[in-house]
Amino acid sequence: MKRNLFSFILFLFVLQQANGQLYYTKNGSISFFSKSPLQDIEADNNQVISVLNIQSGQIEFSLLNNAFHFPKAKMEEDFNENYIESDTYPRSSFKGTLININKVDFTKDGNYPVMVKGDLTIHGITKNITANGAIIISKATISAYSSFTVFVKDYDIKIPTIVSNKISEKIQIKINCSYQKK
Amino acid sequence: MRKKLLINIILFTIMAFSTVAFIGFIIWNKPHRNIKDATAVEINAVDLYRALSHDSTKTKSLFVNKIVAVIGKVKQIQKNREGAQVILLQTHIPDASVNCTMEENSTKIKAGDTIEIKGICIGYISTDEDLGLPGDVFLTRCYTTF
Repeated sequence: MKRNLFSFILFLFVLQQANGQLYYTKNGSISFFSKSPLQDIEADNNQVISVLNIQSGQIEFSLLNNAFHFPKAKMEEDFNENYIESDTYPRSSFKGTLININKVDFTKDGNYPVMVKGDLTIHGITKNITANGAIIISKATISAYSSFTVFVKDYDIKIPTIVSNKISEKIQIKINCSYQKK
Repeated sequence: MRKKLLINIILFTIMAFSTVAFIGFIIWNKPHRNIKDATAVEINAVDLYRALSHDSTKTKSLFVNKIVAVIGKVKQIQKNREGAQVILLQTHIPDASVNCTMEENSTKIKAGDTIEIKGICIGYISTDEDLGLPGDVFLTRCYTTF
């Protein structure tokens, strides 16, 4: 009985320690940009959930594709119905690790370059990617930034032939999240 | 006679092209949905959260991508990275909310107020369960109605 109680208390302690390292946001920002001859395409999603474990460097992002907001309603409609197919693939996510998390001093203000590696899932296709980014510590607030490029063909996103010369194959993705302690 | 026919064909072609171009222009520039004046599905925050956090296709089709008017108690008011106000409405789970990104920032709303928010329901999302962070139901392009 005493042994069981001890195990339970130890479990709670470990759980609390693990939670103490977790930071999260539910209103992170991810945007994308695509240069095209007809009109540049850009959209923002400010409803991104992200969790960062500052001890292990594990980092996750999840978003709903239909939360991307475009300047034009028609662009938004085409993105959801024809390209990303939001009804079939409602969610995009990334699950990975900040490789050099040990270089970040979370107790000291600064801009720390980091490298992140993990699995990016878009349109039901998962690819392993590596990207550069930065962790910024300012007045005890942790923020994460990154910018990287993906190719639509890697995620089986089909662009209709009629507009294929107007839409770039290359999409630049930008991440900007500010975390709070869990 | 042939000259007249040729002129008519040219005029018809120009008119056809102009019509197609005009329709294309109208479609390309059609405005976003008018949230303020639209009819909304009315529901309270707890019920909306319960309905969408369970993965049911039927309940999703009732709310996702629809304009909803959600009544709830304000838990917290935040700002996102773009400076837009985010109002969190309480649910039956302490760390979970109906997360509403506002079109207009208001200084009158405070935590504890019961308000109605009208906006587009995006859906429910969470991270992996092992991280112990419950998901939120998200609303975007929101306005307060009272």
